[in-house]
Amino acid sequence: MSVRFLLDGEIVEITDVDPTSTILNYLRYRLRRTGTKEGCAEGDCGACTVLLGELDEGAETMRWRSVNACILFLPMLDGKALLTVESLAVDGKLNPLQACMAENGSSQCGFCTPGFVMSLYGRTIGASGHDLPVADVVAGNLCRCTGYGPILAAGDGIGKLSRDDQPTMVALREMAETACAGGVFEDRRWFAPRTPEALAGLLAAHPDARIIAGATDVGLWVTKGLKTIETMVFIGNVAGMKAIVEDEAGVTLGAGVPYADAHAAFSRLHPDLGELVRRIGGLQVRNAGTIGGNIANGSPIGDGPPALIALGAELTLCSTAGRRTMPLENFFLDYGRQDRQPGEYVESLWIPRPAPQDIIHISKLSRRFDSDISAVCGAFALTVENGLIVRARIAFGGMAATPCRASGCEAALVGKPFAAETIASGTIALAGDFSPITDVRGTATYRAEVAANLLWRLWYRAQGEDISVLALESSHG
Amino acid sequence: MKFDQPATLNPIDRGRVIGIAHDRIDGPAKVTGTAPYAYERHDVAPNAAYGWIVGSAIAKGSISAIDTRAAEAAPGVFAVVTHENAGPLGKGEMNTAHLLGGPRIEHFDQALALVVAGTLEQARDAARLVRIDYAREEGQFELAAEKDKAVKPPVSWGTQPDSAAGDFDAGFASAAVKIDRTYTTPDHSHAMMEPHASTAAWLGGRLTLWTSNQMIAWAVKELALTLKMKPEDIHVMSPYIGGGFGSKLFLRADAVLAALGARAAGRPVKVAIARPQIPNNTTHRPATIQRIRIGADKNGVIDAIGHEVWSGDLPGGGIESAAMQTRLLYGGKNRMTAHRLAVLDLPEGNAMRAPGEAVGLLALEVAMDELAEKCGVDPVELRIRNDVQYDPEVGPKRPFSSRKLIECLRQGADRFGWSKRNPKPGQVRDGHWLVGMGVAAAFRNNIASKSGARVSVDGKGQVTVETDMTDIGTGSYTIIAQTAAEMLGVAMEAVTVRLGDSKYPVSAGSGGQWGGNSSTAGVYAACMVLRGILAQKAGFNAEDAEFEDGMIKAAGKAIPLKQAAGRDGASAEDKIEFGDLSKRYAQATFGAHFCEVGVDMHTGETRVRRMGGAFAAGRILNPKAARSQVIGAMAMGVGAALMEELTVDTRFGYFVNHDMAEYQVPVHADIPEQDVLFVDELDDKSSPMKAKGVGELGICGAGAAVANAIYNACGVRIRDYPLTLDKVIRSLPAA
Ligand SMILES: Cc1cc2nc3c(=O)[nH]c(=O)nc-3n(C[C@H](O)[C@H](O)[C@H](O)COP(=O)(O)OP(=O)(O)OC[C@H]3O[C@@H](n4cnc5c(N)ncnc54)[C@H](O)[C@@H]3O)c2cc1C
Ligand code: FES
Ligand code: FES
Repeated sequence: MSVRFLLDGEIVEITDVDPTSTILNYLRYRLRRTGTKEGCAEGDCGACTVLLGELDEGAETMRWRSVNACILFLPMLDGKALLTVESLAVDGKLNPLQACMAENGSSQCGFCTPGFVMSLYGRTIGASGHDLPVADVVAGNLCRCTGYGPILAAGDGIGKLSRDDQPTMVALREMAETACAGGVFEDRRWFAPRTPEALAGLLAAHPDARIIAGATDVGLWVTKGLKTIETMVFIGNVAGMKAIVEDEAGVTLGAGVPYADAHAAFSRLHPDLGELVRRIGGLQVRNAGTIGGNIANGSPIGDGPPALIALGAELTLCSTAGRRTMPLENFFLDYGRQDRQPGEYVESLWIPRPAPQDIIHISKLSRRFDSDISAVCGAFALTVENGLIVRARIAFGGMAATPCRASGCEAALVGKPFAAETIASGTIALAGDFSPITDVRGTATYRAEVAANLLWRLWYRAQGEDISVLALESSHG
Repeated sequence: MKFDQPATLNPIDRGRVIGIAHDRIDGPAKVTGTAPYAYERHDVAPNAAYGWIVGSAIAKGSISAIDTRAAEAAPGVFAVVTHENAGPLGKGEMNTAHLLGGPRIEHFDQALALVVAGTLEQARDAARLVRIDYAREEGQFELAAEKDKAVKPPVSWGTQPDSAAGDFDAGFASAAVKIDRTYTTPDHSHAMMEPHASTAAWLGGRLTLWTSNQMIAWAVKELALTLKMKPEDIHVMSPYIGGGFGSKLFLRADAVLAALGARAAGRPVKVAIARPQIPNNTTHRPATIQRIRIGADKNGVIDAIGHEVWSGDLPGGGIESAAMQTRLLYGGKNRMTAHRLAVLDLPEGNAMRAPGEAVGLLALEVAMDELAEKCGVDPVELRIRNDVQYDPEVGPKRPFSSRKLIECLRQGADRFGWSKRNPKPGQVRDGHWLVGMGVAAAFRNNIASKSGARVSVDGKGQVTVETDMTDIGTGSYTIIAQTAAEMLGVAMEAVTVRLGDSKYPVSAGSGGQWGGNSSTAGVYAACMVLRGILAQKAGFNAEDAEFEDGMIKAAGKAIPLKQAAGRDGASAEDKIEFGDLSKRYAQATFGAHFCEVGVDMHTGETRVRRMGGAFAAGRILNPKAARSQVIGAMAMGVGAALMEELTVDTRFGYFVNHDMAEYQVPVHADIPEQDVLFVDELDDKSSPMKAKGVGELGICGAGAAVANAIYNACGVRIRDYPLTLDKVIRSLPAA
């Protein structure tokens, strides 16, 4: 079984697919296209940014997305189109964006440059995330030389670039007919099911199989953890897993929806949720990393779960035995342990739409402003009726072994007037809810103290005070 | 050419190409991804195998047994190199620890084996099969714990560890106002974007190495020592370097192991140090403890200033010379500085961008802020009051070659709007942000070092410059081309620059911000010789000849350069050598950093809102390239202030956060608008270019300006870097 993808108009076929070989290594060492760089091989620096193109549902349109090639496995390339920095300059003539970067002094040592070029090029051709400011599009690209200003200036200086994707779409449709279902490589098996039934069947047959969605976690197990994964089920092509359905009551998201695709719907649920998504990884990570993966990995510091728990999200798991739906918080049993039975996969997530009068506040705190894992992530949803708090859902990440609710604090608030004294007693109760740990991201004392302060932040904001968490406008020169 | 008298008017002063903001000539190759870096030389070594380094899992001790059989039997493996089969190895003079360890182990992640295989994946898989049994020994990993055992180190790199003038103790004791504070800075990682990488190939007994190294001639010499070879048998090339910041000053394990691996496998081999291995396998900037005492009168005029620095390194290693700037930056007749070195069994400490000053100023410039507050003097004014136009340890007989600190402070303050600063901390609010401003002086020593070049003109009038100088993102290609174009009166397009090859004349290399000024001065020297040759060929008197518009002109006649060069062209090689001007004159670069921050009163998050700086660094050869160097360095200063820290595991002796997720460098959201002003200055005692270094000046003091701004914003003075949100909030007044 071979993996096929489109590169510069040509179909490339990989016959002997090592399922945990990365797209980056394939480009650099097999195809010897070395323009794409490796700065870290773990998704942190963006030097390996490439654009991956795929047909939208219905195959009428297509979209490009910037991704980190260093943590994407070869099977994830099947049936897709790929653009690398080499795809841009035609006959040695620089693409206008490249010319603009060269003129702006956006490149010094040049090692980060191809990654920035691809992130910015994606923006100019309407790739996923193109509606974000330049600054957000390159938040996942690190540069140690330039101080960033000249790069952002180049990005701002370039408008839309036209691109004829018709031939690409024709080729993508053709390739879709012959998608690769999986293979075996040195005793390691991998599958790429296309339907939910096939996925459930595979998981029933191989309960130990590792599900791989965006690989923004699993990729690192291989490139950094040097792990061998025996059986893999890639779920990126399972029909319906990327569906987003919005209605009055709320939003339903397939587990395979990448964060980038959920961004707009999340912002509509509440602006804080949108802002939170903006600060999950960089765009490349959000273009690959899925909602389902962010939950299923059970990380105590994942950014999605606290906010989703506070908003009252429900998780649906599926297997050949049927479906189970549970409040999201119940999924997290303990550190590294979730309520997922053998053969089950996370199918979808439903998030109720908050009422307009609900008071919602979500804060992610990290040392660095973008591309960082939270020290503490706090989410609050209070319903206040006639001056009384009638409902409180408060959840934190980074405070315990799992993302979890602050039940003591919630109890201290419910039934009380929405007033400063209540907030004060809420913070006292909160201190009893958690015993956080000290690590490189923050001390235990800091976590405890700041958790309480986040509740105050909610209060001050409700009083109409300007709590500009990050909105300090900075214009680079 | 010997440079031992101040420069007079020379062709560089025309400033037609030099001093102009020329785009980098390597820009197009970089934006298209076609500039080839060391690991990518498929063109010259198409059949290269891949090496994967196995690092030590202990910090100190020895290998009791190493079993490579399983790895050797793994699919695709060609060879496994260890100390047992590598043959006799020496050690470079500039390396502290051995680049291939065993049986002794000197630090965590020291390379103990290299697995060579047909693909990267095969090498990586097989590397896990190398079995090493260790005899672990206790080590010392905590600077604070070893501080009292630290000793006075020997003179290194010409630097005396201690200095004194007047009577510090008496002066300090009798001072009206005293500051006595201790500051700490953590270990820092260079975190350049390109990991260390090399491709090696043997032909007979001769080695060719494509690598990523800032100092070609050092690399050859150190490789020869390590591999016990003749330097003539080694060819090193490093034309493109994905950032260095000092990490690639010295020979590292990638180069040595690629060479050993290629010999063992009988084919070219490439080796990159994987990102998670870099902090523990390679070098880092050592942590410091710094005590600063300043005694001043009520007006803040310094009478006594003392700076003591403790740092640690492996046995035989060196100091972090963080007190050096204190010998020169401010006046005061009673002075002392001292460096003490402890033995630590952490990975090797060594130079990182602006060694010494980068962290020395994080302490000194905060101490100055504390002094300003105590005396009630504006911090800008305080620095102006303590300016000194000569080396204060020596006296007026050793003046500065040029020193425009006051101009930098004044002009920088004006542009930044410093007068709007409220001197009382915690007074300015913007929503729930506490807003403050800080200032710090920038100071970096100016070093000039011998540098050679060969310049030729062919029969078509094309100029080629060859020198083993490197471009690590600094813009060397461009300023060297500008120098040649200026000297020979040709257009930039007519100049080709070839760098980073040990076949070319030895240059100053890139480091210590000496590269730009020294290497262009070397090109100047070669061009002067070439001008003489060409003038003579044209029948002119060299002294009278003008080189412009591709012509040589004299006595009313003009002859095209290419005609003078003739069909066979003309070529000249020379080097610049520096006399004792740097002894007679103190030479340094200066600047002033200004910074505005917001501190969130609920969370302690700090956000840098604005930065501005004014700098005086002699002639600015290319304002665009210089500005980019400076703003990049300022960004690194923000990193040092707010987030950069290698966290030591004091039980096992290694850096825990050894990757780019956990060793955090600023992302762009951390870096605001940066305004840079270059104060006009020509330094005729630094070189015929009248330029000085500028690549490191920007980091010097930048972090202190951030720290001082945080204090002004919220009244929290943290003396242990980095100033993370948890440290800030600990001392914040209740919201
Ligand atoms: C540079 C970088 C930055 C990051 N920044 C952030 C951040 O700011 N905030 C944050 O929260 N996370 C961050 N992450 C972590 C990661 O991106 C997210 O957790 C992401 O959502 C994981 O999704 P994925 O699809 O990539 O998961 P994968 O890596 O594919 O899988 C993760 C785990 O979930 C399981 N899994 C995936 N999908 C399913 C399913 N449908 N059913 C059952 N099991 C499933 C997998 O088997 C695996 O155990 C970052 C990662 C990187 C590399
Ligand atoms: S190489 Fe750093 S993100 Fe891929
Ligand atoms: S230009 Fe060197 S890392 Fe960006």
